[in-house]
Amino acid sequence: MSKIANTVKPFARPLAVVGGVLLIVAALLPWVTFSLNSGNYPDRATLQYFDAPFGVTGFRWHILLLGVLVLIATFAPIPNKGRVIRSLGWGGLAVALINSVFIVAEGGGLGAITAADGSSAFGGVVGVVAGIAVILAGTGLGIEPPTKWKLTLSTPLAYLVLLVTFAAVLVAVSATLTAGGQGGPANPYAGGLFLSFLGFAAGLLTALNGVGLVGWISELSEKHRIFSVVVLLACALLLPFTGAGSEYWMTVAANIGIYAATAIGLNIVVGLAGLLDLGYVAFMGIGAVVAANLSGAAASKIGLDLPFPVAAVIAAIIAGIFGAIVGSPTLRVRGDYLAIVTLAFGEIFTRSAQNNIGGLTNGANAIPGVPPLDLFGKEFNQSLSIGSVQLPAGVLYYVLIVLLVAGVMAIFANLKFSRIGRAWIAIREDEDAARAMGIKTGKAKILAFLVGATLAGLAGAVFAHKNGTVSYESFKFLESVTLLAAVILGGMGSIPGAVLGASLLFVLPEKLREFSDYRLMIFGLALVLIMRFRPQGLVPDRHRRAELADEDVGGVPVDEVHEHDTKGAKA
Amino acid sequence: MSTLLQQLANGVVQGALIALIALGYTMVYGIIQLINFAHGEVFMVGAYGGLATYTWLVPEAVKDVWYVSLPLVLLGGVAISVVVALLMERFAYRPLRNAPRLAPLITALGVSVFLQEFVRNFYPNATAALPFPGAFVQGQLSLGPIKISWTGVLLIFVSIILSLLLQTYINRSRMGRAMRATAQDPDTAKLMGVNPDRVIVLTFVLGAALAGVAGVLFGTYYTNINTDMGFQTGIFAFTAAVLGGVGSIRGAVVGAFIIGLVKTLAGQYMPGGTSYDYVWIFVVLILVLVFRPQGLFGEPERVRA
Repeated sequence: MSKIANTVKPFARPLAVVGGVLLIVAALLPWVTFSLNSGNYPDRATLQYFDAPFGVTGFRWHILLLGVLVLIATFAPIPNKGRVIRSLGWGGLAVALINSVFIVAEGGGLGAITAADGSSAFGGVVGVVAGIAVILAGTGLGIEPPTKWKLTLSTPLAYLVLLVTFAAVLVAVSATLTAGGQGGPANPYAGGLFLSFLGFAAGLLTALNGVGLVGWISELSEKHRIFSVVVLLACALLLPFTGAGSEYWMTVAANIGIYAATAIGLNIVVGLAGLLDLGYVAFMGIGAVVAANLSGAAASKIGLDLPFPVAAVIAAIIAGIFGAIVGSPTLRVRGDYLAIVTLAFGEIFTRSAQNNIGGLTNGANAIPGVPPLDLFGKEFNQSLSIGSVQLPAGVLYYVLIVLLVAGVMAIFANLKFSRIGRAWIAIREDEDAARAMGIKTGKAKILAFLVGATLAGLAGAVFAHKNGTVSYESFKFLESVTLLAAVILGGMGSIPGAVLGASLLFVLPEKLREFSDYRLMIFGLALVLIMRFRPQGLVPDRHRRAELADEDVGGVPVDEVHEHDTKGAKA
Repeated sequence: MSTLLQQLANGVVQGALIALIALGYTMVYGIIQLINFAHGEVFMVGAYGGLATYTWLVPEAVKDVWYVSLPLVLLGGVAISVVVALLMERFAYRPLRNAPRLAPLITALGVSVFLQEFVRNFYPNATAALPFPGAFVQGQLSLGPIKISWTGVLLIFVSIILSLLLQTYINRSRMGRAMRATAQDPDTAKLMGVNPDRVIVLTFVLGAALAGVAGVLFGTYYTNINTDMGFQTGIFAFTAAVLGGVGSIRGAVVGAFIIGLVKTLAGQYMPGGTSYDYVWIFVVLILVLVFRPQGLFGEPERVRA
């Protein structure tokens, strides 16, 4: 890499200018020829690529913006120019490449992005070239670690900054969630537009990180922790009022929330205590089955119809008990062997549920008709109106799940910095040393399993009510692997990481419906690539970062290790 | 009584199959302490490689002549398995040789999912189970009340012969000694002039070749194959390896026969029947790990987990 950097160095600035201008040109060029193998322009006029063949909207607007930002970054006196420009370049390349691939794949071959019928649709090609040019220019300008701002603010001003930031985050989340629209056969480009938006957003975000803004904001929010938490929670609750406030998006968001809560629970076991659990989703399944049976589902043999809070608590407790049972071999078994014990337990659960053990799970037919939640005289699957604002159905579930995630996060954060949390981290680092320091390792490890399983059981109870059916299919080995992948993708031991990982892994299949055959294949490949190129995850935990860094940290403070890393790498 | 004897015979056949796969697990774990989750998939790929060889490469004229077609199919299956294992070792595991332990384990899971889905998507019609040719003598061997199909007999025979060969190779040959040395202490082995990369590659190749044979014989015995077979049989094999003591060749084979017997006998006599035989194997696994983590033939200090 440094060889390329040295070659490019003398022309880095002009190259950045050329790249930026090319990005703007790409945005203004058409991207698709009008006559395609599978039909002409009017037949496919619903697709965004054709809406306005010469109008700058959607992803072309993103490209234009990136081009302008590259030009500004080249000439403005900003710190860390190289890193910022390179990030923008990666964004541009991602957007251009993804859209070109989708146009070629869905729009009838390579002819779609050339001048096959006279309208020179070279937008994609120019965009890719421009992106590469900008990345090279950024590399040539020199990559430094993200800048650290020394600026401190008075409390009211800091509050204002945080408020504005979180509002922006809310808008960004809403835009990301709805980007590309609902996936499916009616909208084959949904996945492409979504990925393209993701590339754009990631490019911008890493550029902001390069300038130092992201680091500064996160330091600011650490300092005003309580205020940040309150505002963030408020923002999450305001999501239904944004563009994402339809029933479909609320359902998607609620599902993400359930898996995010479960992923945070898994993060306690894997991220903090370092115990690899390959059967974690079974605890969620136990919670779901117990809750379904206690809440008067049609197939329940117990015949009880307990109110949700009671059923949920019982579900969580029973899952927790199973957690402690599964955790008990940790007293004698370590490492990989423990992973196998948990895998075996997960498989026993799946097999038993499939065979309708004790008449509790209804086997392959699943448990249908789990009644929707009914709290404070309000059925949770109904729509809600506050004053004159009509909110879609599913909002109440969304609110409940946001509160659940917030609660799980609070538990995680408090545990992490408590005595037991430190004990877990010590065990993760070196079990023998931890024991020598007087930590009761057996107790601590079982407790990790117990807490993790309890949280999963709680999430499972909500899952049962929200979805209305409980099938063993939802709790198979692959789901455990997916959750584990969410934790690892986000960064082990980090809360935002777990949420980000769960969001990505559960939004992408929703958006990329037309690739559903290849979903798992890509997923497997992604696991291998993450472990190879970014084992510390997208949002690494600080302590974890030092651990997974190369052996020779060379006296660099923990916080700065791996900041040198390729931040530009895209999700 | 005759049911018991018949189930014992079935268990031995199952055990012979599992043994061939368990050997791969135990060798890889012995050398690089990696639970190679994808090893079950290597077995599955071997079966599909054998099927592909039979479908497209074996000439029409000799398809029914088992002593020509079976060796060819075995060769094809083994070749595919070995190639897949080599690629896997080179591109997935080798870069992570010095990474924290979790990294290769998760990579192995990823490789497993990838291979399974790759075959399902790209092998023609592999979304459903595919029929496998019975490329061996048809009919059964009758020993009093016990009936074993000839393919089952072949499976037992091949499995025992190959394990004995492997045992001899590892104990007698130069490379075998290098393997044992690397398993004991990689750093010292390196100082003594052993090339660890070569040893590791050889380990993967040997394991994959056995898995390839197992894949083809699985196909001829059950006469159909599907893409899920690798994961499930792989877990059985891993259980067998743990039961026998990871790193021990003899242990893996004995463990495999025990697992085979547990499976068939539990399916016959335990409550719930065959739908729970899977569960009993896992119960055995958990009990072994908790009460004798070094396995039947393992030495306690070998367990470095």
